[in-house]
Amino acid sequence: MFNSAFKNFNEILDMGGHGIYVWSVYLIGILIIVISFLIAKKRIKEVQKKIKLKNASS
Amino acid sequence: MLGWTWGLLFAPQDAVQGNSYRIIFLHVPSVIFAELVYFFMAVCALMHLVWRVKLAAYLIKSAAPIGAMITFIGLFSGSIWGIPTWGTWWQWDARITSTLILFIMYLGILTLHGSFSNLEKADRLMSILVIIGVVNIPIIKKSVDWWSTLHQPASISVSGSSSIDPSMLYPLFISVIGLGFTLISLGILSSRSYILSREKNKKWASEHV
Repeated sequence: MFNSAFKNFNEILDMGGHGIYVWSVYLIGILIIVISFLIAKKRIKEVQKKIKLKNASS
Repeated sequence: MLGWTWGLLFAPQDAVQGNSYRIIFLHVPSVIFAELVYFFMAVCALMHLVWRVKLAAYLIKSAAPIGAMITFIGLFSGSIWGIPTWGTWWQWDARITSTLILFIMYLGILTLHGSFSNLEKADRLMSILVIIGVVNIPIIKKSVDWWSTLHQPASISVSGSSSIDPSMLYPLFISVIGLGFTLISLGILSSRSYILSREKNKKWASEHV
């Protein structure tokens, strides 16, 4: 079960000709997830900044 | 991450599909959560409509973009998987179509909420739309059994035996749990900013920062 299915790095990239599909899916998927985390963090910062500004003015 | 490494590098080749089946470790978890996120929103919508819980509506609003995101990942990973496997990237097959409807529902919920300037009214109507849309979930679930389609029926079941080998099932299981935690933390982050922005005029919010 823990034997690697591939012999070397090139085989991992190629995956018997299907590598392009597999890796593009993972690349785009991870990218989307990472971007949504960044957006969420940015939003928190923006709101906190707004509230701080309001606090300072009142 | 562990599930993916295991699934991508160590699990054996599928007898029929070769290596392209490795997309499963992203595809299956994401569509599972596409439905679970909607289910979560439906529970919140019920809470909002019945008990007028304000927070429930905030949670729907923060969860909907995440649901749309994960449904999109499920759809596009499925369609890229379809190219080498089915020879086509898109089919108007029952499961694919119903999942597309789910994606459109998520976007519709966000658009509806955005189109009202009265936020309380927007919350209420959004909850109603979420409840209406919940009929789609069992349709997605059962679509592969009701209609004979290109999409294969489920090969994993919670109860009883699965038709998938343990060496593929374990990494898949870990991938599902991993993506679950990832989405929960994303949900906490985005609901935090949304709750703050909705309650920014309250005293606790100005004390919070």
